[in-house]
Amino acid sequence: MKTEILKEIIKKKSSKQQFAVLTNLQNSNSEIFELGKNLSKEFENNKTEIENYFKLKKNGIIEKTEIFIQNYIKPINVVVVGAVHITQYLIDFVQNLNFEITIIDPRKYFTTEQRFKNINVINEWPDEAFKKIETNSHTALVALTHDPKIDDPALQHALKNKFFYIGALGSKKTHLNRCRRLKILGFKDEEINAIHGPIGINLGGKSSPEIALSIISEIVLENYKRN
Amino acid sequence: MKSLFKENILEEANTWIKSNQKVVLATVIQTWGSSPLQVGSKMIVNEKGIFSGSVSGGCVESSVISESIELIKKNSKFKKLEFEVSNENAWDVGLACGGEIKIFIEQIN
Repeated sequence: MKTEILKEIIKKKSSKQQFAVLTNLQNSNSEIFELGKNLSKEFENNKTEIENYFKLKKNGIIEKTEIFIQNYIKPINVVVVGAVHITQYLIDFVQNLNFEITIIDPRKYFTTEQRFKNINVINEWPDEAFKKIETNSHTALVALTHDPKIDDPALQHALKNKFFYIGALGSKKTHLNRCRRLKILGFKDEEINAIHGPIGINLGGKSSPEIALSIISEIVLENYKRN
Repeated sequence: MKSLFKENILEEANTWIKSNQKVVLATVIQTWGSSPLQVGSKMIVNEKGIFSGSVSGGCVESSVISESIELIKKNSKFKKLEFEVSNENAWDVGLACGGEIKIFIEQIN
């Protein structure tokens, strides 16, 4: 691989759009592939197969060729509402798993830079904050304030925008009340039932890092279920 | 790993190159059976044998490192390596898990 290609891949990664890197295993020449992009002579004969692997996000040697394709997929974004203690542990897990993270909390004393260095923290109410980020079916919501004023609007946004994971912190009783409020607002039972509450896989622990682990485990599980 | 955007092995390779190290990139290109790491897993090796990342969870790294140093010495562009199941009792390179992997090593320059 040429150093220029390496630099090009690194640059491309920051654009956060899906792309692939093709490598000819007979001479180690590489190039970047995106849908609609013309391929060099080296790869153009296998354009259809390359596109198929790209659409399926499949990595590997393309059948009956000496071409290796590696896809770079847009990472899922975990939006955490509530810059609380659990959130600090969630950040480490999320980053090690190559997910993105965004933290929303209108309470300024929670979101000091000291607590969340180099993290995208939006210091606004959820309704305003969601105008500033792109959310879709690749987004997960983790609502941790257990304050309906802050959590509820975020849950509504997540339900409407079909997040693949929605979890909310709180006891069974808190969750029942939450479901009741959402029902009054017109959400259907099946939508409300998709909210994970109490949040996380029940590992038995109650400490902040243990709760963070149980939440991230549930997100990983749900992410694989849909793929 | 479903998303590779934040995997930073290539960025690390770039840093090594900037500090005038010779870098070999190793990529898992094919697996059979129960191999520990999936296709696309990467590792980088410099001329001194210092490495980062992983291609097998520890089973074949030592061999990939020596092959990479050899590649730099001979100034070859690339090589395909294949590893099969090892005898569990031998201190040999191979995959105790019973899988097989193919690894592509290439110089970045």
